Amino acid sequence: MSRRARVPAAPPGVNGRIILSFLTSAAGAIGFAVSYGLGGQTQWEGGCLAVAFAGLATGLAIWGRRLVPTGGYVEEHEGFTPPPAEQALTAAVLTAPDSPIRRRGLLAALGLALTALGVAALFPLRSLLPGDRTSPVRARRDTPWGPGVRLLTAAGRPLRPADVPAGTVVGVFPEGGTGAGDAPAFAVRLRPERFTRPPSAGHLDGLVVYSLLCTHAGCPVRLYLKGAGRMLCPCHQSSFDLLADAAPVAGPAARPLPGLPIELGPDGYLRARGDFTAPPGAGFWSRR
Amino acid sequence: MILDRLARAVDDRLRLSPLTRKALAKVFPDHWSFMLGEIALYSFVALILTGVYLTLFFDASSADRVYHGAYAPLDGTTTSAAYASTVRLSWDVRAGLLIRQTHHWSALIFVAAILVHLVRIFFTGAFRKPRELNWLVGVTMLLLALANGFTGYSMPDDLLSGLGLRIIVSVVESVPLVGSWLVALGLGGEFPSDEMIPRLFVTHVLLVPAVLVALVSVHLAMVVRQKHSQFPGPGRTEHNVVGARFYPNYTLRSVALFLWVLAVLFALGGLVQINPVWLYGPFAPAQSTSPAQPDWYVAWGDGALRLFPPWEIHIAGHLVPAPFFPGVVLGGVTFLALYAWPFLERWCGGDRRAHQLLDRPRDHPVRMGVGVMALTFFAVLVVTAGDDILARLLRVPVYDLLNLLRVLVLVLPVLAGALAFLLARALRRGDAARLGELTRADLRAARQPADRGDAEAAADEPELPAPDRPGERVELWPDGDVWRWRYRDEPAGVAILSNRAVLTEQEAAESARLAYPGVDHVLVPGPPPPPLPGRVRTALRRWGNRALGVSLLVAALRQRRDRRRGGHGDGPDRR
Amino acid sequence: MGVRTYRSTRRWWHPGRTVVLGAALALAAGPAALAAPVAPTPSGSAAPAPNGTASTGARGEELFRQNCASCHGQQGQGSQRGPSLVGVGPASADFQLSTGRMPIAGEIPQPRRGEPVFSAEEIAALVDHVASFGGGPQIPRVQPGSLTAGRALYAANCAPCHGAAGTGAPLTNGWIAPPLYDATPVQVAEAIRVGPGLMPVFPSQVLTDEQVNDLTTYVRRLRAEHLDRGGNPLGRLGPLAEGLVAWIVALGLLVAAARWLGQRAGE
Repeated sequence: MSRRARVPAAPPGVNGRIILSFLTSAAGAIGFAVSYGLGGQTQWEGGCLAVAFAGLATGLAIWGRRLVPTGGYVEEHEGFTPPPAEQALTAAVLTAPDSPIRRRGLLAALGLALTALGVAALFPLRSLLPGDRTSPVRARRDTPWGPGVRLLTAAGRPLRPADVPAGTVVGVFPEGGTGAGDAPAFAVRLRPERFTRPPSAGHLDGLVVYSLLCTHAGCPVRLYLKGAGRMLCPCHQSSFDLLADAAPVAGPAARPLPGLPIELGPDGYLRARGDFTAPPGAGFWSRR
Repeated sequence: MILDRLARAVDDRLRLSPLTRKALAKVFPDHWSFMLGEIALYSFVALILTGVYLTLFFDASSADRVYHGAYAPLDGTTTSAAYASTVRLSWDVRAGLLIRQTHHWSALIFVAAILVHLVRIFFTGAFRKPRELNWLVGVTMLLLALANGFTGYSMPDDLLSGLGLRIIVSVVESVPLVGSWLVALGLGGEFPSDEMIPRLFVTHVLLVPAVLVALVSVHLAMVVRQKHSQFPGPGRTEHNVVGARFYPNYTLRSVALFLWVLAVLFALGGLVQINPVWLYGPFAPAQSTSPAQPDWYVAWGDGALRLFPPWEIHIAGHLVPAPFFPGVVLGGVTFLALYAWPFLERWCGGDRRAHQLLDRPRDHPVRMGVGVMALTFFAVLVVTAGDDILARLLRVPVYDLLNLLRVLVLVLPVLAGALAFLLARALRRGDAARLGELTRADLRAARQPADRGDAEAAADEPELPAPDRPGERVELWPDGDVWRWRYRDEPAGVAILSNRAVLTEQEAAESARLAYPGVDHVLVPGPPPPPLPGRVRTALRRWGNRALGVSLLVAALRQRRDRRRGGHGDGPDRR
Repeated sequence: MGVRTYRSTRRWWHPGRTVVLGAALALAAGPAALAAPVAPTPSGSAAPAPNGTASTGARGEELFRQNCASCHGQQGQGSQRGPSLVGVGPASADFQLSTGRMPIAGEIPQPRRGEPVFSAEEIAALVDHVASFGGGPQIPRVQPGSLTAGRALYAANCAPCHGAAGTGAPLTNGWIAPPLYDATPVQVAEAIRVGPGLMPVFPSQVLTDEQVNDLTTYVRRLRAEHLDRGGNPLGRLGPLAEGLVAWIVALGLLVAAARWLGQRAGE
């Protein structure tokens, strides 16, 4: 079948357009190389590369549309339901009297062995759990806060009551656990007579400290609306009323922010009297 | 020719030529919507190509590292190695930002193309027997694409992705009984753990891509084995595929599409900024940024979290927190419904036959209604994910918008679904060819309940047997050493050539019988005149129309410039 | 304006350098008193002279009577239509006037940034007049600070509301935290010290003058075009804007390409 037929002539103009496209592509490629060589400017690099690919694509598309036979062509489709006899023949081969699947007893034992092996293979997955073997639920409840833990600012400086004047918001962290994911809290000072519900963790002359983590999905609620005494979550717009013990007032959060009980230490710095009034952050399967 | 000899040598040992010949002649149906899946495939290829480059520079570790480089606001700052290496890649590695942005854009397009492909498959009924298996594979790939998108988005350890990761962790934690254990198993500790980024990395570059590559192969292998479905048309039956051949035609077109995908992705990667992590800063558990949204393909989950009211329940004194319902339950139900749809439709509709011919979307009003309803629902959820941005653009209070969306998410899908159902039924019962041609009477008729034995049943009838279709015949002829055949429907002016030459007359007759069972065979002495008459006639008519249009234009405008432009515009289309 | 940047790894928290002040002292003694005299501020509104001369005092009183007194009262004591200005101080007055938020056109919940109504001299005179009511922080004097320290401070204190990219964000009830791109360093410093509207106050116990300098330097830098190294920033609005582009532009182009490719040439 090595008949060499003559290549049919292209319709007028088509060859020219394809060549032009390929030349544009080459120009784009050179442009990319040059812009990379000159120090690399993202816009030039991206633009040149796009021109290079687009040129190739256009050339090939015109080629495919204009220079090769486009049909229509038909191909037969056999269908997928085999004749019953054929199916039966295959089934007979698989279930011949001496076929392994006829020996039920052996198969049961094999299945048992494979199941045991499979279950045993799951055991190493346990190593993915934390190495310290604490229950995740307990780890989730406990935070670095506890009796006597001093409050630090983001700068790592212990906090005095005077460092939190009215109208501001200060992020606070437990001394010795500043990097913990469940520890961040914030301190604000409110006028005690404005409290509609007293803070469950108490307050020091209007100074209250709450967990920073939203009780909906755990984002830090750092948007403090000074005049309204509210905290707003940037992720799903839950808002918490600090004047009513940080109760959720709008958005999808259902539980108040846990408070942190605080006291003034003998050294004049603020310290915690215990852990948060509830586990901080998003809810999980646990008893209240 | 060295290539020629090499090919012969390989063929002499493996006998690949019959297979190759058949593969090269594989017919692709001529409809653009069959290329949507290819867009997804080629975005995936782009993801792998750019992703491999990125792994050479990304340091998947949460260990402290001091960034030194061109981005002054972070110069000398200690951050995680993952974040520092991402900023270095973006500011200090030549072409690094281009590749990183192209990778991210590819991910967005990958999922979008999968979704558009899925919508096409759904509304045309391409998931029906025998293609349910491939539907299951496809839905699994969508799930994996979402998972890999999210892990990739979270890996740079920037502030915005850290918030997203924290939300996902909270959603997993909300699972009753095992939530906290699942999180501990996944992260190896409390969020944010040191194991987090290495594990995300392995999942993102090894586990999920490996499964995806395997599934893509299975997906394509099944398409080749089962052949393409096709839209109904002249000469198209349940027993054949009509279109153009894989080689040379679709080889050129597919490669062209691949290059188009690359062109668009690199254009975006170079010209439109995506995920500027240097602006977001490194993740810190006490920091947040606003507005905070995830990438679009998980935005529906984020929107659902925003919409769901603050309802929490207690089971035996244990808390089931609010994110469980919009997060876990909605996600689970969505994918279960997707997996189950082909079987649900089969079970409810009672249609158990195999289908190679596609439905037009209107042919199945119930499917149309359900599909539009689901799409509207998820569209409202995605809009909700941007409710804070919308509230700011519209200058309305965000909670008013939220309450409105809470109503819309329930009402709008039902309305849209019902409307789609009615329109589909009106289109099917009436004789309007497209949406714009629907009349009031058609719509009124669509509101009547369907009678038994109505058009519904007629659409599902098996095709007309061949003896009832006069004028059709198959012509066979010898062409040198080989045999060819073609299908011809004289009254309709249709002639379709067989996709390949075969060695014997018997073989030709056999394939013609498979493609057009029951149609009479006619032996003709030689090949018919090469350009098919139907096509020439259409080409002539088109050419004539254009010439007429141009001359009218010329006569009307009588301006030299316009006359010249009209003449040039017609030039290249002349044959 | 050129911004000096420190390339060293200077930590912004330095226990020895921080001065812990009492709350009363912080409110009374303005940071300006502590700051060393510096070159003219880069803001559009020049800082007022330390002691207003008699003529500017009369000018300020006249302007106040014409433009402010109807809401804030003749002596700045406030009325039902506007809050008292006693104790707000010069920084607050300069911020509101130089950002065009005051005088306010009508009763709207949140005054928006606009072109200032008064000239720099008029603003200076008005600020002197408001200062004569007593109290409040002085107009901060801003110097170039450290970019890296500013970035860290910004992420910790400002990004939650104004966004890590400085785009601003909506709060509740239609209030927004505005974008920071138009604010001059002095205005940024004033806002930090004053806390306009719903914004928290950051007095000198919370942020030292030096930290304010760092912050203003970084905020100034945030508006720079060259931070958008990757191309069009899409308003720095984040992933959803990117998703919209992916769907409309990219997928639109690709589907158009597929439609063209999936069609036979003759059709």
